[in-house]
Amino acid sequence: MQDNVIEVNHLSKKFGENTILKDINGTVKSGQVICVIGPSGAGKSTFLRCLNLLEKPTSGEVKFDGTDLTHVDGKQLLDLRERMGMVFQSFNLFPNMTVLRNLMLAPIRVKQMSEAEAKKTAIHLLARVGLQDKADAYPSSLSGGQQQRVAIARALAMNPEVMLFDEPTSALDPEMVGEVLEVMKELAKEGMTMVVVTHEMGFAKSVANQVWFMADGYILEKSTPDEMFENPQNDRAKDFIGKIIEAK
Amino acid sequence: MEKKVKAIIQVIIMFVTLLTVGAIASQASAADNSLQKVKQRGELIMVTSPDYPPYEFQVNKGGKSRIVGMDIDVAKKVAKDLGVKLVIKSMNFDSLLVAIQTGKADMAIGGINPTNERRQSVDFSDIYYSGGQSFLINAKDVNKFKSVKNLRGAKIGAQTGTLQYGLAKKRIPGATVKGMDKSTDLVLALKTNKIDALGIEKPSAEAYVKNDPTLKMIPSGYHLNKNDVGAAIAFKKGSNSLVNAVNKSIVQIKKQHLTDKYLASAGKYMKVNTVNTSMFHYWTYFAKGVEYTILISLVATFFGVLIGVILALMRFSKQKLFRGLAISYTEFIRGTPLMVQVMFVYFGIGVVINIPALISGMIAVSLNSGAYVAEIIRGGINSVEKGQTEAAESLGLTKGDMMRYVILPQAFKNIWPALGNEFISLIKESSIVSIIGVTDLIYQLNIVRADTYRGVMPIFVAMVLYFLMTFLLTRLLNYYEGKMKHAG
Ligand SMILES: Nc1ncnc2c1ncn2[C@@H]1O[C@H](COP(=O)(O)OP(=O)(O)O)[C@@H](O)[C@H]1O
Ligand SMILES: [Mg+2]
Repeated sequence: MQDNVIEVNHLSKKFGENTILKDINGTVKSGQVICVIGPSGAGKSTFLRCLNLLEKPTSGEVKFDGTDLTHVDGKQLLDLRERMGMVFQSFNLFPNMTVLRNLMLAPIRVKQMSEAEAKKTAIHLLARVGLQDKADAYPSSLSGGQQQRVAIARALAMNPEVMLFDEPTSALDPEMVGEVLEVMKELAKEGMTMVVVTHEMGFAKSVANQVWFMADGYILEKSTPDEMFENPQNDRAKDFIGKIIEAK
Repeated sequence: MEKKVKAIIQVIIMFVTLLTVGAIASQASAADNSLQKVKQRGELIMVTSPDYPPYEFQVNKGGKSRIVGMDIDVAKKVAKDLGVKLVIKSMNFDSLLVAIQTGKADMAIGGINPTNERRQSVDFSDIYYSGGQSFLINAKDVNKFKSVKNLRGAKIGAQTGTLQYGLAKKRIPGATVKGMDKSTDLVLALKTNKIDALGIEKPSAEAYVKNDPTLKMIPSGYHLNKNDVGAAIAFKKGSNSLVNAVNKSIVQIKKQHLTDKYLASAGKYMKVNTVNTSMFHYWTYFAKGVEYTILISLVATFFGVLIGVILALMRFSKQKLFRGLAISYTEFIRGTPLMVQVMFVYFGIGVVINIPALISGMIAVSLNSGAYVAEIIRGGINSVEKGQTEAAESLGLTKGDMMRYVILPQAFKNIWPALGNEFISLIKESSIVSIIGVTDLIYQLNIVRADTYRGVMPIFVAMVLYFLMTFLLTRLLNYYEGKMKHAG
């Protein structure tokens, strides 16, 4: 594998007349954890979605493992996409199937894994996120924190090389945030390459290699967590971090 | 752009429709091999509407039903003289002439008067029977309407498009003429005082009077040329060879006064029918009707959903052509009545490939239902949260797998009640297939009404049966809806 797992060059994205992402550059190395912060509407979700091409960039390139994703489609895109897992703010579990089936669907349909093997992997992953007893439950019967842990396990079931997280804890009741961050920290420690949009400073400080600050479609500052939270250079970043510390 | 594609496709649909109609029209001018065709086939196919005793009606003997009557005996004689087997198809009276024009049958028989209007579209044999005209009135009015003269300014009923209708209009001064499709409906209108008198052929009037003491008949007093009015057999235009052959039999029928014999035997059959006019006696008719109604609804539901899913998926396709096709199809189907679609599939497409009535009915109702189901499913797909698509895509699922495993199951759960409504309305709306002779509940209802001379009771029975079907289906759907809710 290349050392630079993800490489973004001059990425821009327009929705109609509105330019949402403007000349974004950055690299994510194997095993790194990058946290992305910034005010609402900055373009963080759009950026993340451009990384696995849920959103098609208007210009620039997004290289994954050396291949420019902006120029592939069809089967090749699906192949590359399955190597990146994604976890959403609103969990997005499939409500029409059990937890176990949520985890087994993609391995069977995409990776052509056998039913038995997929089940084995799924049960193993559920144990890893502490939910082995919920295998036969439907998502609607789980708490938010449990649902998000299942969602993480579902993404992991595809054995991805990179995990993308879009505000995974911001839809959760405060008492459930911890259990989800715990699972994510474990992942980071095991060496998973991760790009995480989050405002959880504790998490960022303990596992992130870099924090990127976004506003108005630009990445305005990239620093280590300590620098970013203790001594941000950019004025907008200073202002924003002042506000989140105040809110705590 | 979408609009342009749509417009183009709609023009194409119109074009194809016109071509088909053109093909039907041009058939008429083909060379005459009508007699040869019948002889080669060894079968003479006739079409009739068996709800007009004593001309043609169904007889219910030992649980088995058979089409009998004077016209049937005439047709049997014709077939025997030609040396071929007689095949009887039944259909609504309105559809008889279309059926021979489109080649569904070689001839139509059913007390048809060869009016000038009809002569424009079909050929006729010589008149084989001229029963004369009369009026049915209520027995309580015998003193009021002693003769035709008293009918001036009265409300007179007649079958739409028949000789009786035209005569009443022209010859009874000041009369209001009310047209209906079925003689059974007209008799009911008379008995419930919606009309004062009913213009009808004498043999039919006699049959009614014999079977219903509340009815009386008076002579029409029309002076008509026996060679102009009466019943004749209809053929597709340009069937001279067949018409000539049939006319030879008719000459014999007239010479030997065979129709008197035929009428007598029809009278015997009618007695069999009216010995027991309780609805229980006719339960096999209703049971068969219910069976066909359920069969058609089930098949149409299955294929309707299949077509609906395909159309809905086409609406979400990246291809403009697919989207345009799906939109045009839906608009076209929703913009035309089901009755016209049923007739188009049977008679229109039937010119190219001969599809039996039952299958035609199923096809038409399925195609129709598909358009409505497509709209319901489209709504269902739109109602599934966007996050579901994103999650499926991020896992690398193909679009097809995403639809199959994630989106459609959720969509169906959301639209279950709407789909249920569609199935229930199918049971009711499929009744339109009776016009092409599919023996569904409505068709059987008309047969029972014609056979028993009881106007209202069969309607009531059919109503109860329809209600039972929809009621049970509603319960069943509710049960499954509850079960689905349970499953998360
Ligand atoms: N599909 C879309 N179409 C049009 N505008 C969009 C779309 N998705 C996001 N946007 C706009 O892009 C901007 C950035 O959105 P987003 O990336 O969700 O920001 P963030 O995640 O930082 O809050 C917002 O102004 C939003 O309205
Ligand atoms: Mg966001």
